[in-house]
Amino acid sequence: MAPLEPWEKVIVDNEKFSQTDHGEKTCIECHAGVNAAEKESAHTDMIASPSADPQKFCAECHEEETANYANALHNTQAGYWTAINTRNGNVPEDHENLQEMFGNHCATCHTTCGECHVSQPKNVGGGLFSGHVFETTPPMTRSCTACHGSRVGNEFLGKNEGFPGDVHFREARMNCVKCHEGAELHGTADSATAPDHRLSGAEEPKCTDCHMLSNDGIDMHQRHGDTLSCQVCHSITYTSCDGCHVEVSSKTGNPFFETEATYTTFFIGRNPLQSEDRPYEYVPVRHVPAAPTSYQFYGENLQSNFDAAPTWVYSTPHNIQRNTPQNASCEACHGSVQFFLTADKVRPEEMTANQNVIVSALPAPVDLILAAMPQPAEHASLVSNSCVACHEKGVRDAMAYPEDHAVYTNESCSSCHVLPKE
Amino acid sequence: MAKERFLFFLSLLIIGVIAACSAKPAASPAPSESPTEEISATPMPVSPVSDECIACHTDKQRLIDTSAPVVEAEGESKGVG
Repeated sequence: MAPLEPWEKVIVDNEKFSQTDHGEKTCIECHAGVNAAEKESAHTDMIASPSADPQKFCAECHEEETANYANALHNTQAGYWTAINTRNGNVPEDHENLQEMFGNHCATCHTTCGECHVSQPKNVGGGLFSGHVFETTPPMTRSCTACHGSRVGNEFLGKNEGFPGDVHFREARMNCVKCHEGAELHGTADSATAPDHRLSGAEEPKCTDCHMLSNDGIDMHQRHGDTLSCQVCHSITYTSCDGCHVEVSSKTGNPFFETEATYTTFFIGRNPLQSEDRPYEYVPVRHVPAAPTSYQFYGENLQSNFDAAPTWVYSTPHNIQRNTPQNASCEACHGSVQFFLTADKVRPEEMTANQNVIVSALPAPVDLILAAMPQPAEHASLVSNSCVACHEKGVRDAMAYPEDHAVYTNESCSSCHVLPKE
Repeated sequence: MAKERFLFFLSLLIIGVIAACSAKPAASPAPSESPTEEISATPMPVSPVSDECIACHTDKQRLIDTSAPVVEAEGESKGVG
């Protein structure tokens, strides 16, 4: 997106704007200032972004949205603090330094109502996008992907060289809000259940809201629908980053960042956030640019609990394809080490942080799975879900597993040795 | 004589008034139900925007002339954000 000229950022299309509900108000009612011909006088005490105070300027008409937005991630940026505090270990003495760091480098991503509905976000230079006409649906490239560009935007729009854009964009020209509806983006009324991370709470949106798997006749959906997130089979190579460090320039006094590397990967890892809402055993994982020294400029050991969160994180790449290299056949994935985040792909200093994500045993080759003995039917009523408890040494007449099974985890037994269907 | 002159001018005045009254309807357009007339009959909305603000912010050249010089901040960030 080309940067706007200064005049382009503030020119008003009054012919259109005056016909809208917002156009019924005078400029001064929202922006304050003075009705004067001379610029400096006119801009006296002007409020450039009224929606920075939504209670005052938006709630009168948009009461529900304003109340909910107080808890929305675009407003609270709670996801940042969840990651920062986890890796810091919630050390109270560090909070002031972290707060300063956050203010300089992270708070610029805070988004007001107006930064989605009337102008480009300040973070990308601002500027009215429709002559001050408020847009119910934010224009995708000037609003959503203006911020979410380097990963989601590039993936979705097919800007990563050699990789097609998301099928929902290529084939159906769907924009972001087709899936991420206003109700999701505007947040929730209940602050107690407000998300502290984009992956907390119910999976929203869900692919299965549109793509019903129960009767689509695709065998793989029945076999893997509960154990693999949809993106495991249907996303392709996406962007990862390493080593972001933030500082304030000694020359200009401006905050800046530097990332060590950006590259493309596709790795399937174990789900570090397995829950009722996200029951998948495996998900695609993306390397985030967190490093133990990311905030070193602001103080020593500000990430003293660095290993508490993985650096290969649960990811939802936005480059969905019907056909992908890993879903070309059963054998394309089973036994294909290149698709899995195995220990050799993780930096030695990040092994502990990623211990819950690293795949220690690849899915067995398909011919072995097909030959595997099914579990006896009475296993369905077992209280314990630990196969190893009995099968490691042959307790209670259970058959001890062969030596070559030692590479598999307890959780993966049932992916080969299935319970007979009723 | 004075009476005759008075009656003569009075007659002229009456004729003039009658002529003026009879000519007026012909000169005026007939009442119509055209949309234009309906709109003009409706009170014009008061401009919802402050004139000076709009006068400037709809004038491209004026915005160019009055914009503050752009100071290109030296960006020191490196890599993808």
